Amino acid sequence: MPVITGLGFITSIGNDRAAVLRSLRELRHGFEPVRFFDNPNIAVKVAGTVKGFEFPTPSWRDWRWPERFTVDRELVRGLAPHGVYAVCAVEQALSDAGLTAAELAGGGTGLFCASAGSPLLMGHFMQQMNEARGERGNPLGIVSSIAGTLNFNLAAHYKISGAVCGFVSACASSSHALGYAMDEIRLGRQQRMLVVGAEDMTAESIVPFAGMRALSTNPDPATASRPFDRKRDGFVGTGGAVALIVESAELARARGAKPYAELVGWGQAGDGHSVAISHPEGAGLREAMRRTLADAGVAPGAVNYVNAHATSTPAGDRSEALALQAVFTAAGARPRISSTKALTGHGLSLAGAMEAAFCALAIREGFIPGAAHLTEPDAACDGLDLPRTSLDEAPALVLNNSSGFGGSNVCHLLRRAV
Amino acid sequence: MTLPTSPEQKLRSLPAPARAAYQRFKDNGDPAALDEVIMAILADFIPRAQAGLLATATGESRLIEDLGFDSLAITEVVFFTEDLFGISIGNQELVQIRTLDELRQFVRKKISERPAA
Repeated sequence: MPVITGLGFITSIGNDRAAVLRSLRELRHGFEPVRFFDNPNIAVKVAGTVKGFEFPTPSWRDWRWPERFTVDRELVRGLAPHGVYAVCAVEQALSDAGLTAAELAGGGTGLFCASAGSPLLMGHFMQQMNEARGERGNPLGIVSSIAGTLNFNLAAHYKISGAVCGFVSACASSSHALGYAMDEIRLGRQQRMLVVGAEDMTAESIVPFAGMRALSTNPDPATASRPFDRKRDGFVGTGGAVALIVESAELARARGAKPYAELVGWGQAGDGHSVAISHPEGAGLREAMRRTLADAGVAPGAVNYVNAHATSTPAGDRSEALALQAVFTAAGARPRISSTKALTGHGLSLAGAMEAAFCALAIREGFIPGAAHLTEPDAACDGLDLPRTSLDEAPALVLNNSSGFGGSNVCHLLRRAV
Repeated sequence: MTLPTSPEQKLRSLPAPARAAYQRFKDNGDPAALDEVIMAILADFIPRAQAGLLATATGESRLIEDLGFDSLAITEVVFFTEDLFGISIGNQELVQIRTLDELRQFVRKKISERPAA
């Protein structure tokens, strides 16, 4: 049985566990007004900013991070901005799990990562190459910018010789990473997995979604992200990194580590529908939830809390609400439901790992994050239990939903460790 | 903001003495000043754990075996040097450079072969 023994957070709602916990309990959002491309004409005015980090140019020499984190010079040269976030998150997760970096080496630990790469760096490297008509290219241009940059860098830096892989399913990517990490442990292939989801928080990583009309144009940080609300008008972008240490229960027990939660099941299903729009009735997500419950041998009525994927887009939230109705309401079950993207924004490849970590935190700390910024629920939510404030209720069984482009749906089930 | 590619932009990342040496080399072709710039570039890219080795390095010190550079870090040194001096170093030339002296002589030669502006 895989268990989560360490968490690390660089997020819009906090750069350590205590800050994240406070934000989730008190429903403090991480949004700030932004002016992307220094262009007031861009309709998107708000983002889930990552505080304490600065990436003012694509040159690593100009980057800054909080002093308490060490990111070596020879490491940062091959990193994207989200790689810097990731190193800071992994250092926290290691310390939280009571591990040293040296303990990741030796083959017992694998590494599964998820990010979309760095559109910021990729764009600049390609521009540089175009200007030189292909005659010159930055030596570290590829490894710092393509999807996979996280696993390339972290595997080398931490000398990980177990399974190493990156996952690319857009907003379900790090949920895939966590699901397959569970399998590595369940199949006895690895004793420990480091799972990392991360994304840049730049104009280049967020504004392209405005072209799909997927972003909120609401300029008010207090209401721009309001999953399941009738007035929702798109998601608010964010970046950051979250790292999870997943271990076999035996290893955790043997070294005296206290698990946040057990990972008791996961499942996935495709929509088979559209390249970017979720199935109108949430067919894939519905099936992914059912497969997850079946994997764990759990009935819908046993689930206490669902951390929804809901990003605050009109179509996506409705699909998920209908999928939740089909799985839970139709079975006479009524778990608490909220989307913490109301506080963080949508972290794309980061989202699944970030929210799994929130679920682990909710189980350890005995609370349920409320549905922030929700005033008027969509009609599709009728009968769903969307608490408006965080609750001092200790959930024993928590479902985490994720959906990505192409209708890729992934869920995990976390249980309070006994 | 774009990536630095011009000599002026590249220079900004070197410490003040190296920038002054670059200017001296530009003004009067002082080869000692050029060597100082090259050492500053190496100091910028040498792995942190090996940084102290540069102070005692000799002309015979080998970049990889003695100073701890890997081939990737050497490509970064070359990329920086190419931009700074407007030269181009080919793959075949690169594998010939093993020691500090070979690097310095090679860069000197390349610069002397530059077409007049």
